[in-house]
Amino acid sequence: MSTPSEVVVPLVREVVPSPPEAAGFESIAPADPVLVPAVAEPRAVGSATHAARSRVLIVTEGTYPYAVGGVSSWCDAVIGGLGHIDWDILPIVAGGKRLRQNFTLPENARLLRPIELWSEDAPPRRAGRLHRGREETTLPTQLLRGLIPWEGSLPDLTAALIRCRQRPQAVRREFRDSSSWEEFLHALVEVLAANNDQTAPAPVYDTIEAARLYQTLYWVARTAAVPTPECSLLHVTAAGWAAIPALAHKAIHGTPLLLTEHGVYVREAYLASVNNAAVSLGQRHISTRLALGLTRAAYAAADMIAPVTEANAEWERGLGVSADKIRVIPNGIQPPRDWTAPPNAKKVIAMGRIDPLKDVQTMLLVADEVIRRMPSARFEYWGPATSGQEQYARACARMHEQLGLGERFRFMGRTSDPHGVIRDGDVVLMTSISEAMPMALLEAMAQARPAVATSVGGVPGVLRGCGLIAAPGDVHGLATAVVSLLGDPNLAATLGRRGFDRVHRRYTLERCVASYRDLIGELVGVAA
Amino acid sequence: MNGNGNGNGNGNGRSHRPGGKGLVSAKAQPNGKAHVSGNGRAPVGGPGGATPPNDYAEGVLDARLGRPALDVLEATVVLEAWTGAPAASAMSVAPDLVSSEYRVRDGNINLEASEDREQQSVIAEGLTLVLSIISVAAWATPLSKDYGPHVLAHAIRFALPIAVALQWGLRSRYLGRRGALAIFARDGIAFCALAMLVVELPLALIHRSGPIAATLVAIWVGGTIVSRRGWGLVYACALVAATIALDDGSPANLVLGSLTAFTLIVCVVGVLTRRDSTDERAGSIPRALLATLLGGCIGALLVSDPSLGWGVRGLHPAISLLPSVIGSFWGGYYLWNLYDVIPRGLSGMPLASASSATMRGPAMSIFIGAMARLLGATVVLSAIVMLAGRWTHGSDQTSLFIAFAGVALVSLLIGLLESLALRRAALIAAAAAVAAEFAWYNLATHWGIHWHIAGAALVVGATVGVLFSLPPLIRRLARSGNALATTLWIQ
Repeated sequence: MSTPSEVVVPLVREVVPSPPEAAGFESIAPADPVLVPAVAEPRAVGSATHAARSRVLIVTEGTYPYAVGGVSSWCDAVIGGLGHIDWDILPIVAGGKRLRQNFTLPENARLLRPIELWSEDAPPRRAGRLHRGREETTLPTQLLRGLIPWEGSLPDLTAALIRCRQRPQAVRREFRDSSSWEEFLHALVEVLAANNDQTAPAPVYDTIEAARLYQTLYWVARTAAVPTPECSLLHVTAAGWAAIPALAHKAIHGTPLLLTEHGVYVREAYLASVNNAAVSLGQRHISTRLALGLTRAAYAAADMIAPVTEANAEWERGLGVSADKIRVIPNGIQPPRDWTAPPNAKKVIAMGRIDPLKDVQTMLLVADEVIRRMPSARFEYWGPATSGQEQYARACARMHEQLGLGERFRFMGRTSDPHGVIRDGDVVLMTSISEAMPMALLEAMAQARPAVATSVGGVPGVLRGCGLIAAPGDVHGLATAVVSLLGDPNLAATLGRRGFDRVHRRYTLERCVASYRDLIGELVGVAA
Repeated sequence: MNGNGNGNGNGNGRSHRPGGKGLVSAKAQPNGKAHVSGNGRAPVGGPGGATPPNDYAEGVLDARLGRPALDVLEATVVLEAWTGAPAASAMSVAPDLVSSEYRVRDGNINLEASEDREQQSVIAEGLTLVLSIISVAAWATPLSKDYGPHVLAHAIRFALPIAVALQWGLRSRYLGRRGALAIFARDGIAFCALAMLVVELPLALIHRSGPIAATLVAIWVGGTIVSRRGWGLVYACALVAATIALDDGSPANLVLGSLTAFTLIVCVVGVLTRRDSTDERAGSIPRALLATLLGGCIGALLVSDPSLGWGVRGLHPAISLLPSVIGSFWGGYYLWNLYDVIPRGLSGMPLASASSATMRGPAMSIFIGAMARLLGATVVLSAIVMLAGRWTHGSDQTSLFIAFAGVALVSLLIGLLESLALRRAALIAAAAAVAAEFAWYNLATHWGIHWHIAGAALVVGATVGVLFSLPPLIRRLARSGNALATTLWIQ
């Protein structure tokens, strides 16, 4: 693993010109003499040895290397699989919690100090730069105008992010300044009054909601202020908070940016808002508009977007991304060489967190109907409750009790052997209302087990020909599908075998890593 | 929620636009492969779903949201998630489901319940300090007999600032948090080693008064942890037992040593047998160090006035400290409502009034309420102690009570400045208070002025501290909206 001083930044601008979509990012930086980047001058490509190794900054959000899950596994596979690249990993996490690293980093990876949102740590300071004179008070307003309107101002956002990065010590002072708050309030009134035909008039904010938005923008500013190391490619794993440091970096240095979307960030933000009945309309407005603003900015700045499924690409195109900037790269899995037939134990396996997005309550209803029609059927739900969704988990447990499912449906908690768990079942069931490309389905297919799933996101595309699908919330449809497979072992085995073959054909880890090798190679302009 | 105040006359608040414009490039899937049947169900075995009809889509929106959609993306997400329609199909329908004229309203302001962690911590700390003060007051006579009055006075002058500093630091980093002891347990060994090396050992090396000071620090700081564990009663019993033993003429070294050992053992047991486990992180070190420094300044303020003869004159002045300490903790306890009351008070306040200044705003109300509690309790309890002092050992000098009330007030204000992250102002106020006290006493001595008023220098120091603390606080708190946005929530 090379040290940062060994890294030579390739001539990015010569190899990959910034795309026209990123106009907001190109037009700001050169126009303002203050924004002349300190390290923007690209160094000539040095020796062949140096040119052969690129350094990529990958920004994660609530995932790798601290959380276990599909995105983290993907990160680990890509970073470990692309050993010819030196990776800097910049995690963004919720603050105030102790961080436990769940992955051992490969030798070609270096973990940077995580950005902890909502923590009480002081914002970053740059040594030797003293505050002189009165601070400006426009930062909150610029961020507001850049992120919160239906179509935010990219130049405003870019200017604000650059300012945060170049004057990190000013961020806190500016946000604590009463004048900033006053200006922000005036601008907010204007932003909320703006009309367009794709939205209802904005909800009426009260002072609490305005203050909450102000606080959120402060954390956007602090995230942008965190310095990022020199690199030849920025790889962002979600079009939300993770994009912020990369946006600032790109605006200053012009480094190419690759965005991988496992789920569509803005879509998930809207779903979370819809699923949370306890928040006011103002809060919904804040959370969804922030997600939309960050997503639009990330899309505009990205040189290439790599969704994991065509269903995500639909959203990206719907949000204005040109089709030639999108390259679908499905997730991959390491499937076993041989397949095994289902054990015919009438056991249905579900894997996933206990979370409203997984619609566990529909699953309980499905189980109830299946058991009524086939009393020998058994269900096992593997996975813990999502942090923060403990109330939902309790509601599921109550529902389980009310339905009298008893031992016929068991919540099993975490497992360290997901493959074994799936192999022990006959059918894998998934009732989610939102998925991109669920790893649980790939696992099921890799273990040659048929799946019954809801037709959300990338599920129909993945499961084509090797499982049964029904509409989200369609208890009867899902139950019928489960009963059909449990009652017809030959059909189950056939679909399972098809899934096994399909995984080997389309969804192997090697294939996924190779696609990234090519894409990153194209973007950094170095033979990978 | 539905249908209140819609103005477009179609009865459900939505304008149906046959050619409704979608998102930038949203188009219905030309060859939608699957089909959503009239009841919204996709056929088993077929992937995907087609564009849901408008009336069905409206029904799904109503069922899921209980109101019209805020924008096309919200409508799209709901249709996609609850009908199984592909994104492009949902996007093509969504514009028809959103009215650009109808404002969705709710009065559903959600405010998280305030956390009581700080309040618990304040109560525990207050209880411990009160117990400690009573014990010092009760031990003064027997300890003076054993060690000599000047040695005890010196020991208290060393021990009190150090103990208060450590208590402030501990609260900032560990004890003021929900999983206080679990967090403390993670750093416990390192903290104890550091405390031994940096505090206790050098303190114990001070001639004569040092070992007594070291035991007092261990007893008081250990007591804070024991109280936070919820074992304040055990600690109180130990203090009472030690007092009885001292009164019975037991050797002071033996009693203090035993009490120190007992406190530390209970402390360790309390931490090891804690019930909570947490992933919560400890507070930031710079902030804890600042809190330690501020606590040290408050402690220094207390002991820097030589007119207060700690331990020399029986119960005087330790027992005089009691009213102000109780008042201070009552005020402080009330003040922690800031984090709850300000957001509640501002709930529903329109943006136009978000920065208006008023003394009746929620922030100033809480602040004034806290000051009133502190001063009220101090005055009433001081009167009681003064009356009782007539037949105890003469802790009845009014100036003493005024001085301690001043210290309580400055302590409250500096604590508030620190918690609002007005660190520079807190430091300046604390330093100014101590400096003024020193300056007053030294200048008076230099000029040969002899004030025969106990605690005069302390009154001056506390007054200066209050004068330095009040303006930045009032400037912030007078405008509640501003205080919430720029101070409470931006730290």
